[in-house]
This record gives sequence, structure tokens and C-alpha cells, in this order.
Amino acid sequence: MVKQKLLVINPEGLHLRPAGVFAQEMDRFKCDITIRYKGTRVNAKSLLSILAACIKCGSEIDIECDGPDELEAINKAIELIESGFEGV
Amino acid sequence: MVRGTGVSEGIGIGFVHILKEQKPVFERHSITDVEKELEKLRNAVDSFVLSTEKLAAKLKNEAGEKEADILNGHIMIMKDPVLTSEIEKLIQGGECAESAVEQICNMFISVFSARDDELTRQRAADMEDLKDRLIKHLIGADDIQLSSLPPDTILCAREITPSMTAGMDKEHIAGIITEKGGETSHCAIIARACGIPAVSGAEGIMQLVHDGQKAVIDGATGEIILSPDEETMELCRERKAQYDESVSILRSYKGKPTLNFDGERYSILCNAGNAEDIDKVLSGDGEGIGLFRTEFLSMNRKKSPDEQEQFEVYRTAALKMQGRPVIIRTIDIGGDKDIPYMEMDEEDNPFLGLRAVRYCMKHPDILHEQLRAILRASAFGDVKILVPMIADIGELRLVRNMTEEIKKELSAEGKAFNENIETGVMIETPSACLISDILAKEADFFSIGTNDLIQYTMAADRGNSDVSYLYSVFKPSLLRAIKYTISSAKAAGIPVEMCGEAAADRLMTPLLISFGLDSFSVSPSSVLAIRREISLYTKEKADRITEAVMQMSSSEEIKEYLVQNDN
Repeated sequence: MVKQKLLVINPEGLHLRPAGVFAQEMDRFKCDITIRYKGTRVNAKSLLSILAACIKCGSEIDIECDGPDELEAINKAIELIESGFEGV
Repeated sequence: MVRGTGVSEGIGIGFVHILKEQKPVFERHSITDVEKELEKLRNAVDSFVLSTEKLAAKLKNEAGEKEADILNGHIMIMKDPVLTSEIEKLIQGGECAESAVEQICNMFISVFSARDDELTRQRAADMEDLKDRLIKHLIGADDIQLSSLPPDTILCAREITPSMTAGMDKEHIAGIITEKGGETSHCAIIARACGIPAVSGAEGIMQLVHDGQKAVIDGATGEIILSPDEETMELCRERKAQYDESVSILRSYKGKPTLNFDGERYSILCNAGNAEDIDKVLSGDGEGIGLFRTEFLSMNRKKSPDEQEQFEVYRTAALKMQGRPVIIRTIDIGGDKDIPYMEMDEEDNPFLGLRAVRYCMKHPDILHEQLRAILRASAFGDVKILVPMIADIGELRLVRNMTEEIKKELSAEGKAFNENIETGVMIETPSACLISDILAKEADFFSIGTNDLIQYTMAADRGNSDVSYLYSVFKPSLLRAIKYTISSAKAAGIPVEMCGEAAADRLMTPLLISFGLDSFSVSPSSVLAIRREISLYTKEKADRITEAVMQMSSSEEIKEYLVQNDN
């Protein structure tokens, strides 16, 4: 399993559009992907679960990927979050 | 007259069209053929996605890509593997598709509604819309048709869902009234994008209106006038014409840099009083936060916000502004702002007592905690420190020395911050103004707070109507104070902003240009108006007006002259 701490920097936080893009991108990977935020575990492939977690701009989250393509998955997650969803 | 909340500016004049609610009705039944029911669900999902894609394409044409994203969001939600697998699980347990959809959607609706975040609560409205439409696709009922409405329709509904808004015949809609919803509802967002006046939160309106009734709404004030007489109508038509003209002029200044007629650059920042205001700064086209008041962090609570909590708020502001300035004013309590847990002693003269930086002089621990939070946030954007109520150089030095100490602490702890963070002085006491040449040597910038500067210069309580004749920024003493402050800053080569109400007063604009002000910090709704005002003046014209004004002896004379020379 690999994990990484990340800061959500896009102004709207993980709301509808960025959360949707994130879930869709994560769904392409086979591994299990979890967002840990404020003591809860969120399925990163589920838009509704991400929305329910209510992750705002300025929040710190942990991404955990566990499975065959975990490295590719975490790199994609880092790229999306760190870029603030620029250009997606 | 009924009143709601204005959510999309403009005057709407027309005839009421009541939108009746049509919740899909189905009978919960047990099923025997699970495979067939799953197939039915898949077909409904497919046709839901197809029709939503069509609506999104229509909305993209009418309102723009961002607005269409709302509906694209519905498609993304529909494709959420967790949503579909949960619905399928219930069907496999013998539930009919309609009831399975209802139960699972309701589960998410209750989760979203329970959040204290407005945006997340809006998702509950999305799920409600999605649920009803998906069930309609399951039972084969039609979506509500709003695609052909008579001209000048004032649409009146309990609530308008995103899909209804998308399907609307917007050409013929003169206004929208809803009982539910607020400024951030989809309906409000799309109404604003399409320039349709809208009033939300008009409780009880559905009992008062009937189809075909004449109505006028004001999307700025939230006023609703039902069955107006001809005289009122005439007034409303005039107001509408004026409003429509000013809007189209102001809209052309959106997204543009602030330049005067000679092409010299100014910046228009915004005042923000809490975390929510930051989003308004962005939507109002502000070029940064010129005054971030931090008292909201301390209000309505039992203990003071700790460093981490303050840091997170400031960091979020810095991130949202994406490199544009965020000027954070250190805590400005005292005067009329009492914070219970701070146990402030009662004073005979609170406005001349332990206020703002003076309170911090006595309680350095509070300032220390706040400055640490501000410095840590400075690693995430162009964050600056602004110190209120300075009357003496010692107060500025205290803050600067403490800032330097904190930099050492943070370096030792390995925490990131901006080594060159700027510290500015709020000029709001006559003393600060008179020693502005001295302060300018040790400050990185000035911010003129006109509200307090007027009150202290004129020694007139702004809340006391008996002395209100004294409370004016157009008093020659105030204009001299502002002029002198700006010239002190210019001489020392530091920038000056103005964050009081005078910055948003159009009559002041030529004077401020002539004095040499660099930045105006105003409320988000005033950004475009002041940007336009600045664009109308050459330096020479502003100088000419100012020269005349500075010869005059009374505020009445000055104001009259400025009104005559107004563009």
C-alpha cells in the first residue's frame, strides 16, 4: 500500500466538478483508493461518498492506494489534487 | 407587498405562471423477476443520462459551460458505482426498482442535508432532482415541460430544480419567484448567468398568486409587487430601463484590469468579514482581499480560536485568492465590539480605550498566536499583515518585533512562511495621519480606514444622529488628512490603499486618483462600478477637480461641486 498527505488547493474544494473528475479518474484504476479525512475513510471512486465528506479548500487529506496499480493511481491522485484541477 | 431574498439582480415585469409540483407517484411492490427489474433500472439510467446530456448541451448554449456542469454533475452522480450497486443490492433483495432508487437517494439526501456546508447541502437538492427524474424514467412519466411559455412570464414555484431550470424557455421568462432556495441554489446561479431577475425564499407566495396575475419583482432587494396599479407599473418600467442600461455598461468591465483614462493601473480589492465573503470577492471580480477582518473568528463563541484554526482560515483565503493579495487585519476588538470570553473591563470611553492594537499591547499572547497563524499562511499566497488603530510608532514596532521573533521560531520549527511578508499600518486616527511621514519609514504600506478616521478626526460618533452633520468624508479636514497621508506614503515610496466606505463613493474617485491612491478596497458589489468610475478620469481632469475642491471651505460646497462634475 502507498499513501500520501495532500493539501486541497482549488478554491471550490472537492465539490461537484473536481470531485466528479477525481472519482472518474480514480475509477480507471484497479486498486482500492481511499481518502482519509478527519477520521473518516472515503471511497475515492465514489463521487457521492466524496461529496458527503465535504472536503473544502485548505483541507489536508491522506490518499491511500492498495492494489496492483497503486503507484500509477497515487501519482495521478497527486497530480490532480496538487494542480488544483487546473486544465481538467 | 411580499418580500424574499433577491438572488439575481434586475427588475422583472410580467404575468404569473404557477409551476405545480409533480412528484412521481408509484406503488411499492414486491418483484419476482430480479433480472427483469435490474434491466428496467439499467434502461432508466441510460435514458436518464441521455436526456440529461441533452439538457446540459442546451444549458451550455444558454448560460455557459460552468452552469451546464451542474447537470453534467448529475450524470457523474448517476454513474457513481456506489450509487448503482447499492440500488441493485436492494433490488436483488426483492425491492422494486422505484422504491430501491427512492431509498438509496434518500439516504444520501439525509447525509448531505445534515452538513453545515451550504455547497454540500445544495447536493441534497441535486439528489432530490435526480431521484424524481430517475423514478419518472422508471415509471415512464414525462419531465415537467417548461420549454414553451408565453412571453413575459413570471415563473412562480415552491422550488425549481436544476433540470427544470435547464429545460426552461428562458427567452420568455421575465422573472422567477421561489419559496425555497437561496443565493447559491442552482436556480439562482443559472438565473444570474442568464440575466433573469429572481427572488428566493418568498415564503407563502404560492398562496397569494394566481395564474395570469400581473407581478413585478426586484431581484436586488427581493421585493415582490402583486397586481400593481398603473402608476406603480410606470415607476417599475422606468426603474427597469435604468437598471438594464447600467448593468450592460458595468458588465463590460468584468474581468478587465482597472485603468484610468490615461491607462495607469489601479487595483480594486474587496473587504471580507468572514470565510463566506471570500467567494463573493471572486464572483464580484475583486483583485484580492484588501481588508480581511478577523473578528468573526472570535465572535459568538466561548473560547478564542487557536493558532491552527486561524491558520486554516487564512490559508484557505490565500489559496482561494490564487496569488492575489490577502491583507489580514489583526484583531480589532474593543470599541463597540465586545467578546465575552476576553473579559474586557467596562470603560467610560470604549472608543478611546483598549481597542485593537492597544488590546494586543496589553495581551501580547493573543497577538502572538494570530501573527504565527498569519505568517504560516503566508507560505500559501500573497498574505500581508495590517495593524489597526495605530496612534504611536511604538505600536507598530511591537508588531514588527514580534513578527521577526516569530519568523525565528518558525524557522527553528521548520515551518514555511514568507520571509518578506509585508506589514501595513491602518491610518484611522488623526495621530497616525499627522505622523504618517514617520510611520511610512517603518511600514510597508498604508491602508486608510475612513470610517474611523472621520469619527476620530471630527470627534463625532457616527451612530449619533445629533452630530451626523459632522460625519462626512467631504469635510475639508478629512480631505486634507487623506491627502497628507497619501503624500507621506508617496514620499517614502510605499503603496496606499483605502478600505473605508469612502473608497466605494464615486464622488471621491477623482480626488483619490489625484492624491495618488494605489488601491481601493470596497464591497464585492461595488468593484465594477468603481472600476468604471476610475476609467473615466485622466490624471489631469482629476487634478483639476481636486484643485478646485481643496480651495473650498465646506463639505456642502464640495459635495455640490463634485455632483456637478460627476460623469
